[in-house]
Amino acid sequence: MLRLSSLLIGCLLLALTAHGDDRVNWEITPRITAPGQPFRLQIQVDSDVPLGGAQNVGRDIRPPRGMALRLSGQILRPDSTEATLNFSGVAPEQEGEYVIPSFNLRFPRKMISVPEIKLIVSKTVAFIRTNQARAELSIPDRTFYVGELIRGSINMRGGEQESVVASFGLESVAEGFTFGVTSDRQPLPAEMGQGLQTSFELTPIREGLNEVIINGIMLIQSGSTSVFNNAGRDRPFTFRRRIAVEHVPQKGRPADWSGAIGKFTAEPQQASNEKPEVGEPIRLRAVLTGSGNLDRIVPPEIMSNEVWDVLPATERRRHAEEQRFFVYTLVPRLPGKQKTPEIRFSSFDPETKQFSRLVFASAEVTVTGNAPAKVDLVTRDPAAPIGSDAGLKLSGLAKPDPASGSLFSRHSMIEPLAASKLFWSSNGLALLLIVAATGVILIAGYLASHPQIIIHWRAKRGLQRAIRQATRARGDAPAFAKIATGGLKLGCAAILGAETEAMTQSDILRVLPEAKRETLDALFDAADGNKFGSGTTIRTTNQEEALILLHLVRDLL
Amino acid sequence: MKAFPLYILMIVATLGAAEPDAPSAGEKAYAKGDFAGAVESWQEEARHHGINPGLLAALGNAEWKLGRKGRAMVCWERSLLLDPHNAVALAGIRHGQNAGGVERPGATWPETYASVAGADLWLLVATLSFWAALGAVLLPRIRRQPAGEWNQRLRVTALTLLALCIPGLWGARSLAHRAVIRKTEISLRLTPTQLGEATQAVNEGDVVRTGRPFNGHIRVTTSDGKTGWLRAGEIEPVWGGGLPADLDQKAAP
Repeated sequence: MLRLSSLLIGCLLLALTAHGDDRVNWEITPRITAPGQPFRLQIQVDSDVPLGGAQNVGRDIRPPRGMALRLSGQILRPDSTEATLNFSGVAPEQEGEYVIPSFNLRFPRKMISVPEIKLIVSKTVAFIRTNQARAELSIPDRTFYVGELIRGSINMRGGEQESVVASFGLESVAEGFTFGVTSDRQPLPAEMGQGLQTSFELTPIREGLNEVIINGIMLIQSGSTSVFNNAGRDRPFTFRRRIAVEHVPQKGRPADWSGAIGKFTAEPQQASNEKPEVGEPIRLRAVLTGSGNLDRIVPPEIMSNEVWDVLPATERRRHAEEQRFFVYTLVPRLPGKQKTPEIRFSSFDPETKQFSRLVFASAEVTVTGNAPAKVDLVTRDPAAPIGSDAGLKLSGLAKPDPASGSLFSRHSMIEPLAASKLFWSSNGLALLLIVAATGVILIAGYLASHPQIIIHWRAKRGLQRAIRQATRARGDAPAFAKIATGGLKLGCAAILGAETEAMTQSDILRVLPEAKRETLDALFDAADGNKFGSGTTIRTTNQEEALILLHLVRDLL
Repeated sequence: MKAFPLYILMIVATLGAAEPDAPSAGEKAYAKGDFAGAVESWQEEARHHGINPGLLAALGNAEWKLGRKGRAMVCWERSLLLDPHNAVALAGIRHGQNAGGVERPGATWPETYASVAGADLWLLVATLSFWAALGAVLLPRIRRQPAGEWNQRLRVTALTLLALCIPGLWGARSLAHRAVIRKTEISLRLTPTQLGEATQAVNEGDVVRTGRPFNGHIRVTTSDGKTGWLRAGEIEPVWGGGLPADLDQKAAP
């Protein structure tokens, strides 16, 4: 049973995916088009099963860049194994050979693959553009700014042989922008001729080079009959535009800039009541007019002061008049002729790339009534609900005094002295020098109070030198005797604390009692005998003994 | 030589004359309520002539009026580093805490002690005391003479000052490890990573104690003792800058 069902499923899958009996033909009219010329594409499918209506054709088809292509419709015959799908399109503006990649047509019972379709665009084809209806994208050509409101329009202009009667299906594929249609299918201005206009607003939401893609379809009507008769036919359009978006520059940005980009004018403030009593709330209306991102502006803030308590702004916008109202509630605190607080506002003009500052001029109000005994400066948050913590008494800001301490304490940076490398290195160096100097003084003092250390050290070095020289001068008996005698005198003088030249054999015997008197006599005789005419030659055995004596004296030092 | 006192007098007179009686452009703008204009004017002055405690405190006031809590708190805190008794900055911080909901860690006793003088003053006094004590010890030895009465007094005074400076130095060090939160709608993160779990919301203008940096984050402790990590760009250290850094988000308003 299992084997049978597997076989059946296999057969079914094979039947569904079989392409052997499907035939797909396509035809583009005209075969070669001029840039921007409309064309028709007809795809005929002949299958072995009844096909029915194709589903989601627009989703699978991927026309090449610059080409507009939309499904116009399908000729349906009940239980027919044939299907004919008609597309209308507009050729790209650049010459070349364009390929619509292979795509699938999904019928209720079968999916059929359509092979690649080629369209050749050549300027050699005679085509009068003004005869045909066409769509044009109108959008400023400049760098835009994040948060800016960009107004644009699609002008669907009729031609000499065609007129635009309707449009539908406007969609935007624009990552990095918000897109909204503001007015649809309005008649074109008279100077542009017959046609329709759809206006839209774009707002960039991130910086960089972003691409805006706008697709749509216009319905055209033509009285003439020709090979390309599109009477009562739809014609797609597609626009791709790369737009450079930047952030509003940081340099020169006023501190109170709250996101306004555009050209605005501020009208004088209007008070709802020009003669209120003390404590009687009045409404203050500030009207901002102009073209720009009115929706995105954060209302300017007015702070309470000793004359006015200000409640936060509410706002309204009259879209058609390109206005935005900021409405504040003010409560007068003091009687007399008072001016409402000025409202300041900064905006950025994307065309001049400059910031500008606007001021909503004050309104004059005559406040009647009596002044309270004492007016505290902003003692409570007027907008706080009664009984809430936010309504607690405020301490207020002190009056600024920017000149205080300015005579001698100007800094470019607030760097702590503790972070200064110069401070620590100079102090460390000074400490190191003091420690080193102290050490040198201590050592020098010790050596000065113990001179034998240096005498012994010098004698030891002299003895080592004498041993080396004596060893080399073994063949030369008089030289050997002089070197050995000098070494013994030097060493013994250091040990006895006497003068070197004053040393005799007896002194050496006091230091080295184990030395033989004869050896020393022979050594001294050989060294100094010539002075007295009795010089003798020292024997080899005496030379060895003399060397041993030199080593013994060195070890004693 | 006789001209020297005259020269000093002239300098003092010049400095006295330089003290402006008329309000500056920034002060005028501030008085008119044009806080953005005041900020621009004072920032320009700071760029050209340097900053001082009064200017920073005034700038803090104007920034606060514009609703930029983070920048205002940075200005006030830096003003207090230069002059711990600046009345405008103290009032501003108090106002921020009372009215603006700004959180600021309470001062420990060494910090309170340190705020009697500026951090640099503590270090200078400590350094001078150390060298004075060392000199008083070494000088008689170098001169091979017994220490005299004045030398003994100098030693005691210097060592006492050094001992008194130690808590001040400790407090100043503790005060230096603080930062102001400059971004809105952020939270402490459990770990110093991109996907660190948010543990507690913190507000722009809050002052936090800073710890060690790691992986582009800094460990911070809030005023209520909660610890966590914040990105380095979300806070601005109180020490080590002049005017507040331009950390404003570039996103669309």
